[in-house]
Order: sequence, then structure tokens, then C-alpha cells
Amino acid sequence: MITIIQQRAKCIGCNYCVELAPQRWRMSKKDGKSVLLGAIDKKGFWSVKVREDELDSNIAAAKACPVNIIQVIE
Amino acid sequence: MAPAGSYEALMAAIHAGCDSVYFGVEQFNMRARATMNFTLEDLPKVCTICKENNVRSYLTLNTIVYDHDLSAIKTVLDAAKSAGATAVIAADQAVIAYARSINLEVHISTQVNVTNIETVKFYALFADTIVLSRELSLIQVKKITDIIEKEQIKGPSGRLIEIEIFGHGALCMAVSGKCYLSLHTANASANRGACVQNCRRSYKVIDNEDGHELEIDNEYIMSAQDLCTIDFLDQVLDAGVTVLKIEGRGKGADYVKTTVECYREAIDSYQAGTYTKEKVAEWMERLKSVYNRGFWSGYYLGQKLGEWNDAPGSKATTKKIFLGKGVHYFDKIKVAEFKLESYELSVGDKILITGPTTGAIETTIEELHNDKGAVNTAKKGESCAFKLDTPIRTSDKLYKIVDATLV
Repeated sequence: MITIIQQRAKCIGCNYCVELAPQRWRMSKKDGKSVLLGAIDKKGFWSVKVREDELDSNIAAAKACPVNIIQVIE
Repeated sequence: MAPAGSYEALMAAIHAGCDSVYFGVEQFNMRARATMNFTLEDLPKVCTICKENNVRSYLTLNTIVYDHDLSAIKTVLDAAKSAGATAVIAADQAVIAYARSINLEVHISTQVNVTNIETVKFYALFADTIVLSRELSLIQVKKITDIIEKEQIKGPSGRLIEIEIFGHGALCMAVSGKCYLSLHTANASANRGACVQNCRRSYKVIDNEDGHELEIDNEYIMSAQDLCTIDFLDQVLDAGVTVLKIEGRGKGADYVKTTVECYREAIDSYQAGTYTKEKVAEWMERLKSVYNRGFWSGYYLGQKLGEWNDAPGSKATTKKIFLGKGVHYFDKIKVAEFKLESYELSVGDKILITGPTTGAIETTIEELHNDKGAVNTAKKGESCAFKLDTPIRTSDKLYKIVDATLV
């Protein structure tokens, strides 16, 4: 299992993560920021554990994020 | 028109005599990254403060807009309308159309790059104020304002279209900020307010065949100096400009206070017929004391192309050093008490106090007290008190202003 963490408040809604890992990310229509699907919030840090097959796409999303708020832990 | 990137800057702008302020909320503005951005919850408070001080409030909502933003943008515009914001500064047609549909006044952002009278006529269908492209000369600006007057081009409010230009602050190398450098190197789109400012760095040219690295004479080839119009403000106002924008939502309250004060005095002097060279020289010195990359006149005076900066950061002649935080204000005797957390404070020091309600206050220490009585110098860790006409709060920060060359 791998863990994906997002510091959501700092998201600027650029859409990169949704483009690169669409199975794990959606844009919120409510506030225009991205949503890490299945994640739970702990003091602003949203995290979710997912299977290895999502690793590559989420690492790509983390690398592309212009505000560096996505972390992928193997 | 002054930038408000924080409550400190907002109060500093109001105290310094601005007519209007502009600010962003959440991520939908050109300073999405700025740590001091306002949130949706701040909007009513910001608008109320402006109304109480007879200052117009403009919400900037001028980024590129995607489909996933539309609903959130409507929420922000509805909130601006109910909070009583004067207008929204918009670039995207989705924002312009929705603002019009809820009867919120629209100003056209410089991001739209308006450069001619026909475009002004087009946007006059939706907007009451139009910010022209920063790349026009004052002669071109004057032509546009003359035709607005002659043909009586009016906005939805029924008033003549007002023309706004950038008067002071950072310029970038790209036309109307339409730059992709930051997007290409850091995935961070300047047009979504996430610019990493890589144009402000120095660069080398490398020969691909032999690997020779060539230093470029002026290393900072893409970093424009800051715009300053105070030395030809008479020509700017004669060109029919009615709104002068000061850039700097990412800058501190001290910058906002100094620039707004200088331009306020300059505009008032021009109107009173007392705009003189001596005054200009004095304003220039004051403007140089806060954050700047060196000054040039932009494109307003015609064919003078980009003047580039020769340093990575500010050329301000003064620096502020953080000393400590506010403790108490003794109303009756008008004395402010601060706790010094770093460095020391002496009689004769120039100080700056900033805070969300206080704004920015500058003064010089004439007498100083600590626990033991009157002293010449208060040391780190001590509490100290001095006379001050305006109240301070515990949220206030105390700085010492020193000559930048001495730090």
C-alpha cells in the first residue's frame, strides 16, 4: 500500500493532478480546488492509502503540482 | 488605488489616503500563491472597513477560468455583491457575464490587454472602468480618453468610461503579464496567479557544440525594473487617466504606506498647481526607501524599451529589522509598551509598527523607558515603552528601520 497526502487549503486549482491521475483526483465544483478521492482530513492534511498500481500516476501528479502540496509515501 | 494583500496593508493604504483598494480572495487572483491572501470569510469585513473609511473596494478575479472553477467563482461574486464590494476586476468573459447578471460593477483587468478605442467601446457594454495595457504610451492613452469624452462612451452605470493605468510597482517582461516562463519551468501558471518569478534570476548562455558558458553582460536579462510615474505624473493626469493603480499585493504595509502617501501628495499637488521638481526629488527618495528593483518610466513616454534590473532582489535604501511584539497601550499617558524579542532599541532609532488594525506607523524614538526607568537603549528580552500618539495592539509588530548598506 502507498499513502497519498494533500495539503488541500494551498491548492490553486490548476487541474494537473486530475489530468495525470484521474482515478484518484477530482476538481471540486464547490471551491475549485482538487479533491483526493477517499481521503480523510487530519488538520488540513488529507490522506488516503491506495494500491501500488496507482503509484506512478500519483508520483507524476505530485511532481507536476505547482504548489508542492501532494506527497506520495511508498 | 492601492494594493491590499493583508489587513496591515489595507489599513496602511487607508491611513495613507488612498481612494480605493483592490484585493483577492482564495485562489482566483493573480497572487494565488501569496501567503497573505484574503479568504471568502474575510470579504464582508474587508468591504465593511472600506465603507467605514469611504474607500472603494475592488475584488480582483482576473485569472484564467476553467469549467471546474465556474461554480466557485459564482459563489465568490455573490459574496462580493452581498458584502457590498464596489466592483470586480475581471478578465474572463465568464466572470464579466456573471457579475453583470447580478448587477455587480465590472472593471476590465489589464490581463485583457486593451490597447485601442474600439476594444474600449466593446467592453463599455459590460464595464465602467477599463485598465489599459501597460505597454501603451501616454500619447496613445490620451487619444483613447479624448474619444471617450468626444463620443460620450458610457458604461452600464451611465457614467463616462473611466480609464485606469498602472502607476507604480513591479512590471514583468511579458505583454500584460501573459507569460509562460513559470508554467514551462515549474508547472506554475502565472495566469493562475502562481508565478515563481524565474525572470528575476540571472541566466547564462551555453554553446551546445563546445559547452562554453557565456555570462551575459547584464545577467538579469528578463527582470524589468519597477515602474515609477511620479516624476511625470502631470503628463499621466493630463492624458485623462482617472485611476492610478499601485502594484504590490505581495508587499508589506510599509511599502503600501510610503507609495500611497507619495502618490496622494503628488496628485493633490498637481491639482493645487504646486507640483514641483523639488517635491518630485523628495518623493523619489521616499519611494526608494521601500521595496524596489530600481525605477524606470515603463512604456508611457514612448520608444524606450525594457530597462532591466541588475540585482535579484530589492534595491530599497532602508531595511526593516523585526524587534518585537506589542504588549499594551496606556491610553491616558499615550505610551506604547513592546516586548523586544530580538536586537535592541535606542533613542533616535526610526521605527515602524504594523498590525491588522494599526496599519503602518513610522516614527522616531525620542525617549525610552524599561522596567527601571528612562534608558538610552532597551535590550533584547526587555520590555520597553515610549510615547506614541496612536494606540497599538498585541497583534502589532515593531521594526527598526535602518540604512540598507549597514545590514
